[in-house]
Amino acid sequence: MECRVVVSSLSDYIDGRDMWLSVSEVREIETHLGTCSNCRSVKLDLTEIRTAARELPLHTPQRALWTRVANIIETELPKSERRTRLEMPELGWWERFKSRKFTISLPQLVGAGALAMALIAFGTSNIPTGTPGRNYITGGQMALLPEEDQIKADLERRLAAINARKVKWDPQIRNDFDKHLGKIEESLKDSRQKLLTNPGDMVQRQMVLTLYNEKRQLLDDVERLKW
Amino acid sequence: MFSKCHLSSLRFVSALALGLLFVTVSTSQVSAQNYSKTFSVSPESCGLEVINQTGSIKVVGTGANTGKIIINARKLDGDAQVNATQTPQGKVKVEVTGRGTVDFEINVPPTVNLDLFTYKGTIVVANLTGSIRARITTDGNIQFASLRSPKVEAHSSSGNIVFSGEALPDGEYVLKSFSGSVEVAFPANSDFKLSASSPSGVMDLGGFPLKFNRQTNQLVEAACGAGRAKVNLWTQEGSIHLRRKP
Repeated sequence: MECRVVVSSLSDYIDGRDMWLSVSEVREIETHLGTCSNCRSVKLDLTEIRTAARELPLHTPQRALWTRVANIIETELPKSERRTRLEMPELGWWERFKSRKFTISLPQLVGAGALAMALIAFGTSNIPTGTPGRNYITGGQMALLPEEDQIKADLERRLAAINARKVKWDPQIRNDFDKHLGKIEESLKDSRQKLLTNPGDMVQRQMVLTLYNEKRQLLDDVERLKW
Repeated sequence: MFSKCHLSSLRFVSALALGLLFVTVSTSQVSAQNYSKTFSVSPESCGLEVINQTGSIKVVGTGANTGKIIINARKLDGDAQVNATQTPQGKVKVEVTGRGTVDFEINVPPTVNLDLFTYKGTIVVANLTGSIRARITTDGNIQFASLRSPKVEAHSSSGNIVFSGEALPDGEYVLKSFSGSVEVAFPANSDFKLSASSPSGVMDLGGFPLKFNRQTNQLVEAACGAGRAKVNLWTQEGSIHLRRKP
């Protein structure tokens, strides 16, 4: 048997000599391999390739790949020999998902972990503390009432105008004003703190509003006197 | 030359002139510290507004219903000026400008509607049937006596509020003090809806037959009788006392 014939038959010989080759062909190939070092070297290479190939992970081809292959086959066949397109058996989404092989590199794993931590940190920062109740985030201090922003803005604007004029007041009058304003603000701070720990306390809510009204009345009085 | 008789006469005339001069000066000085003015008003619909800076305001309803508002003001110190005017509609407005302490005593028809304000000082109102609004910005007590008013609103930041009068049907009574006490005396057969709040003090509700809607350490909502009058009492740091008049 010539080397050319032996080399072309080696693949069948390695994969399944009993399946693909006759007994006489097998005997002739083995007789030639006993005397030809070149053909023995080719057989050895093919055998190593086959062994290495068996150790590679299996990849399930995409569904689209088979479709493309089937189309190509069909176009290459003569019309008379074209048959109904063979299709892959229909797989459900779960079967397709299970059959997929995912590979994730270390950098990808680190990035996914960092993203998860950032999402957790952002989500927990917005969880309200204490008992259930609505809080209204505003500026640096949490508003406890829906109208509190507007109330505070109005009071601060008016107080700023009064503070600008206060330097010209009689010192005793100025001291009285500051003292009373301080007492109101201290009580307001205390009430807000209680409401913060229990946002659903309607009595405390009313107290906070009463104290804001108290502060507003104090400013009303000063403006009435036109000082 | 001058005789003894002439000298005696001269001494007498000089002494008389000096005395007259002294009286004149003294009188003018008293006038500078006191202020008086009278306005004619319609007893059926008259209003009085007083804006004081420091000093007391006392308003008393005269039983005679004379149809006059008589204003007497006494300046105690400083250079405050009193200015009293009357609008075409008949409302009288008294305003103090400048700096100084002025005490007012005003006689009014019992039906007058009052709006009284002082930054610091006391307010006393007695024997009235008109609506009343009394406010002290800082320190000072407010006292109401013998009132039969349908609407009373009083506030003091650092003083006590004392009310003695009737709770008329459909009347509204709002008495608030930031750090003083609130004391109210109603007749025993009064008919009112009560809202009393005292976050830091005690509440003594005086033995009225109250039907409680809500009751906590800081807030009481209750009704006496049919609850026709509305009574709202508040003190942030003081106590509330409600008592029955015999």
